[in-house]
Amino acid sequence: MADATQEVLDTVETIDSVDALKAAIQEMRTAEEVFATFDQEQVDKIFYEAAMAANKARIPLAKDAVEETGMGVVEDKVIKNHYASEYIYNAYKDTKTCGVIEEDIAGGYKVIAEPIGIVAAVIPTTNPTSTAIFKCLLALKTRNGIIISPHPRAKKCTIDAARIVREAAEAAGAPKGLIRWIDQPTLELTNELMSDADIILATGGPGMVKAAYSSGKPALGVGPGNTPAIIDSTADLKLAVSSILHSKTFDNGMICASEQSVIVLDDIYDAVKDEFQKRGAYFLNPEELDKVRKTIIINGALNAKIVGQPAYKIAELAGVTVPEKTKVLIGEVESVDPSEEFAHEKLSPVLAMYHATDFDDAVAKAERLVADGGYGHTSSLYVDVNEKEKLDKHQAAMKTCRILVNTPASQGGIGDLYNFRLKPSMTLGCGSWGGNSVSENVGVKHLINTKSVAVRQENMLWYRTPEKIYFKRGCLPTALDELKDMGKKRVFIVTDQFLYTSGFSRQIEEKLDQLGIIHESFWDVAPDPTLQCALEGTKQMKAFEPDCIIALGGGSAMDAAKIMWVMYENPDVRFEDMAMDFMDIRKRIYRFPEMGKKAYFVAVPTSSGTGSEVTPFAIITDADTGVKWPLADYELLPDMAVVDVNNMMTQPKGLTAASGMDVLTHALESLVSVMASDYTKASSLQAIKLVFQYLARAYDDGSDLEAREHMANASCMAGIAFANAFLGVNHSMAHKLGAFHHLPHGVANAVILTRVMRYNAADVPVKMGTFPQYAYPQAKERYVEAARYVGIQGKDDNEVFENFLKAIDELGAHVGIKPTIADYGVDETYFNDTLDNMVEQAFNDQCTPANPRYPLMSEIRDLYLDAFYGREPSSYED
Amino acid sequence: MEEVVTRGNKVVYRDGDSLVKVFNDAKPASDVFNEALNLARVQETGINTPDPVSVSQVDGDWALVTTFIPGRTMAELMDENPDKEDQYLMQFVDFQLDIHAHTAPLLQRQKDKYTRMIQSLTDVLDATTRYELEMRLDGMPNETHVCHGDYNPSNVIVAEDGTLYACDWAHATQGSGACDAAISYLLFALTSKERAEKYLDLYCKKSDTPKQIVRTWMSIVAASELSRRRHEADEFLLQWVDVVDYQ
Repeated sequence: MADATQEVLDTVETIDSVDALKAAIQEMRTAEEVFATFDQEQVDKIFYEAAMAANKARIPLAKDAVEETGMGVVEDKVIKNHYASEYIYNAYKDTKTCGVIEEDIAGGYKVIAEPIGIVAAVIPTTNPTSTAIFKCLLALKTRNGIIISPHPRAKKCTIDAARIVREAAEAAGAPKGLIRWIDQPTLELTNELMSDADIILATGGPGMVKAAYSSGKPALGVGPGNTPAIIDSTADLKLAVSSILHSKTFDNGMICASEQSVIVLDDIYDAVKDEFQKRGAYFLNPEELDKVRKTIIINGALNAKIVGQPAYKIAELAGVTVPEKTKVLIGEVESVDPSEEFAHEKLSPVLAMYHATDFDDAVAKAERLVADGGYGHTSSLYVDVNEKEKLDKHQAAMKTCRILVNTPASQGGIGDLYNFRLKPSMTLGCGSWGGNSVSENVGVKHLINTKSVAVRQENMLWYRTPEKIYFKRGCLPTALDELKDMGKKRVFIVTDQFLYTSGFSRQIEEKLDQLGIIHESFWDVAPDPTLQCALEGTKQMKAFEPDCIIALGGGSAMDAAKIMWVMYENPDVRFEDMAMDFMDIRKRIYRFPEMGKKAYFVAVPTSSGTGSEVTPFAIITDADTGVKWPLADYELLPDMAVVDVNNMMTQPKGLTAASGMDVLTHALESLVSVMASDYTKASSLQAIKLVFQYLARAYDDGSDLEAREHMANASCMAGIAFANAFLGVNHSMAHKLGAFHHLPHGVANAVILTRVMRYNAADVPVKMGTFPQYAYPQAKERYVEAARYVGIQGKDDNEVFENFLKAIDELGAHVGIKPTIADYGVDETYFNDTLDNMVEQAFNDQCTPANPRYPLMSEIRDLYLDAFYGREPSSYED
Repeated sequence: MEEVVTRGNKVVYRDGDSLVKVFNDAKPASDVFNEALNLARVQETGINTPDPVSVSQVDGDWALVTTFIPGRTMAELMDENPDKEDQYLMQFVDFQLDIHAHTAPLLQRQKDKYTRMIQSLTDVLDATTRYELEMRLDGMPNETHVCHGDYNPSNVIVAEDGTLYACDWAHATQGSGACDAAISYLLFALTSKERAEKYLDLYCKKSDTPKQIVRTWMSIVAASELSRRRHEADEFLLQWVDVVDYQ
C-alpha cells in the first residue's frame, strides 16, 4: 500500500527502447499508487492548474503543430487547443471522480471510483496538441498515469503539449512522472506500450485502432468517419451552406466528423450551388474533377500530400488553377460507390456534392456513404426542425453514433459548441458499427473503474387483505346493507347447484329484494371449476351487466366467480399470460389487468378451508385440454369478505375434516415460509391454535356452533396469512396428488404434512430458500414456537417438535386422515409410473419458491415414496 | 548446357530434363537454399511447379536445379497473341486462386517478410512513412494462404499440354491472397495500367474480394517492391507509398 510520502522515481529520461519503456512504466506504477490516494480536492486543483497551463500555451502549441506537420490552420488549431483545455475543464470541473461518487444510504448502495492505472494514449497527426491536452487532462482528473505515443510526424508538438500539462500538474502537487511519452515512436514501442498499459485511448486510423483492439488490453478506439450532410428542401439554405463551409474549412478539414459529401434535393440544388459559389466554394468542371480525383485518392487510399492542405494547394497539386482564396473544392458526382474517389473521406477542404430526387433518395445515398467509409461515426441533416417525419426517417436510417441537425459537423460532433448535451471530446466513439467498445463521446467515466458496494437489503413486504372483512354469526344481512349504501344496483350471484337448490342463496336474494337491488344468479359451478363453466357464467354476466358480484360457496364457487370477474372486466385477457409463474410477485413480467372498474366483489364462504375469500388466488381447469391455470395477483382479492358461520353449519364430516386439515396446512406453511412476517405469523399462529382447539369438536359435532365459528375464523386468518406469506412445497406436492390421483385437496395436504414439516425442519438443509429476509434455516424454530403456543411441552426444542408432529398426526387420525397415500387406494404401479411427472410438476409449482427449504427433485421424490408406503421418515439433514 | 535467359543476378540454362539457375556471387547461399526450400514446400502441397532437383555449385557460383517444364511462359504467349489476352488473364487468375487455395504451414509469414522489407528502407522512406506502413501492415488480418509473392505472367509456364506451372518461388510466403493480388496488380501496372485494371477486376470478381481490401495492401507492396532496389519505377512506387489511413 502506497502512501503520499512514498518516494516516486522519475529517472527514465528518454523512452526510445522497449527496456526504457518498461523501466518508465515500472516507475509510473509507483507514482500511480500515490496518485490513487489523492482526494477530490487535490485532484481538482491539479486538473485546474493543468487546464490553465495548456490553455495559456494554446497559440505556441498551434503554431508548432502546423509547422511540424505541415497541415492545418494555426488559428483553428488555437481553437482546438482552447477547446481541449477550457471545455474539458468546464465539463468535468464538478464531476466526482475520486472515492465515493454516488451514495444511497437508505438503499444500501454506493459507487466508488478508482483509477484504472496507466493509460496508453495514441495521438494522431491531425489534431496532435489538442488531443494530447485532452487525454492528459482526462487522465489527471481520473487519477491515472498516461503515456503518450505520438505520431512521428507530430512528435515534437505532441510531446510539448504533454510536457506543459505535466509540469503544471506536478507544480500543483501531482506525483512526478505521471505523464510520459515515447520519444522515438516505432511500431514496436507502440505495441509494447499498448500491451503494458491498463487501458488504451487510441485515436487514429483503422490500422491503429485494430492494433489497439488486438493488444489484449481494453481499448477505447475510434474509427474513420465519412460524414454525409443532407440539405433538405425545407432547410435554411444560407445557414446550411455557411455551416458546411465553416466546418469543412476548419483546420483544413482535418476533424474526422467533418462533412465529406453534401446531398442536395433537386428542387433546391441550383440555389444551394449558387450559395456555395457566392460564399467562396469552387465547383470543378469535369476535366478538373478528374484531375482532382486522381490526386486525392491513390489506389483507394488518401494521398498524404493533400491532408490538411488548403483548397488552392490541392488544386495546384492536381494541375488545376483556382483562386487562392477558394474555401472548398466541390466535385459534383453521381456515384456513392467506393470506386468514386469523391465518395471517400478526404481530410481536406474537398467536398462531393450529390443530387437527390427526393428525401428518400438522399437518405439512401447517405446510408451508402456511411456504410462504405464511416460506419458509426457522424451524419448530418439540414432541415426545418418541424419536419418530424423527415428527422425520424433520417435518424432511423443512419448507422452513426452522432446525428447532427443544422450543425457544422466538425464543431458539432466534438460537442458542447453547437449543442450542449453532447459531451465535449476529442475522441468520438463509433460503437460496434465502427468496431468500438463505446458509441458516445469519450470522457472521464471511461477512465475510471467503479466499485459498486451493495449491502444486503430486505424487500418491502406487505399485508394485503380485502378492504372489508366482516365476521360473526348472522352478520351477512347487515354486511349486505352496505351494498345499498354504496349505490349498487345490479348484483350477480355465483354459487353451486346445492347451495342454490337448498335455499342458501335465497336468503341473499331476499335481502337484495328488500334493498331494491336487482339480481341474477349463476348456480352451475361444479367442484374443480372449469374454464367452460366460467365462460358460460361470464356470458350471462355480460348480458346482465352487474355492478356487484357475490360469490357464495366453497373454494370452487369463489374461484369460478373470480375468473368470471376477470373475464367480465377484461374480456381480452389471456390465461397463458396471467398464469405465468413468477419468482417475485412484485417483479412479475405480466401486468395483471386492473379489476373493480365494473363490479365490486363480495365473497361469502360456506366452508371453512380454502380462505379464498381473502386470498389473491384462483385456479381454473380448461376441460378441453386438461390444463390448470393457477392465477395469482392482488387484483384478484375480493373487495369484501363475509365470514358468517350460519352459512357453514351444513358442512358434512368429510369436508369438515379435509378443509380443517387444509387450514392447518395453510397456517403451518405460511408460518415457515421465507416470506413470513410479524404480521402474517400472528395470523398463522392463532389459526393453528384454533384448529387444535376446535377442529376435533367441529368434526365430532357438526352443530357445535362455537367450534364451527372458530374454525371459520381460523380458515379466514390462515387465508390472510398465506395470501401474504404464501405457501410451500406441502401444497406443491398436494396439488399433484390431487391432479394425478384425485385425492381431495385437504386430504392430500394432511397425508404428507408431518413428513414435509420434518423435511423443512432440517438444521442443515441441502439448499435453503432464496429471499433476503430469510437469514438462516429456521423452520424448526417456528414450528416449535407454534407448538408451544398450542400448549405442547418437551424438554427441549427437538422434543417439543417431535411431540408437535405426534399431536398433528393424532389430530389427523381423529378426523379420519389415513396414514399413507396407499391407504387412499392409489394403485402402486400407477403411482410409480406417474411419480417422475408428479415430482417435476411439484418442483415447478408456484407454491414451491416460498418454501423455507429449496427442494431438490430427488427429495420430493423421496417424500412422495415415504408417504406412499408409510416408511419411517429418513433423515432430511444434508 | 543451353542458355535460356539472363536476368539481373542469374543465368538460366537448360541441361536436358533439368533447368539450372546459376546465381552470381552477389547472391547469398542462404537465399538460394531458401528458394529451394520454398519450392520444395510449395510443391509438396500439390501446386503445379517444377520439381526441385538439387542445390549445387557451378564454377564457384550457387545454382538451383529443377526439372525442366517444356512449354512457353504466359508472358510470351500474351505478347504473341494480343487477341487472346482476356483468355490468358482468365487462366492466370484461376491458377493464382488455385495456389491461394493451398496452405503450407512452414512457409515464412507474409507479414514478417514485409515488415522486414519496410524496415530495410531507411534510406528511401522517412521514419514517419515507415511507421504508417508498419502500422497499416500490423492491422491487416493474419491469413495462411500460399502466396507466390512475384506472380506475373513471366513466372507462369504453359506446358505443351496446356497445364500451367508456376516457377520462381523465391518470394513465397503464407498470408493474404489479397496481398498477393496487390503485387500482381502492381507488376502489371508498371507496364500497363489497363491490363492491371483488367486483372484486378477479374481477380476480385472470381475470388469475391472487395477491391478496397486489395487496395489496402498496395502501399505495402509498393514499399516491398522499392526494397528490391530495381529503381526503374521508384517515383511511381513512392507515390503509391505516400498515403494515409482514413481517420
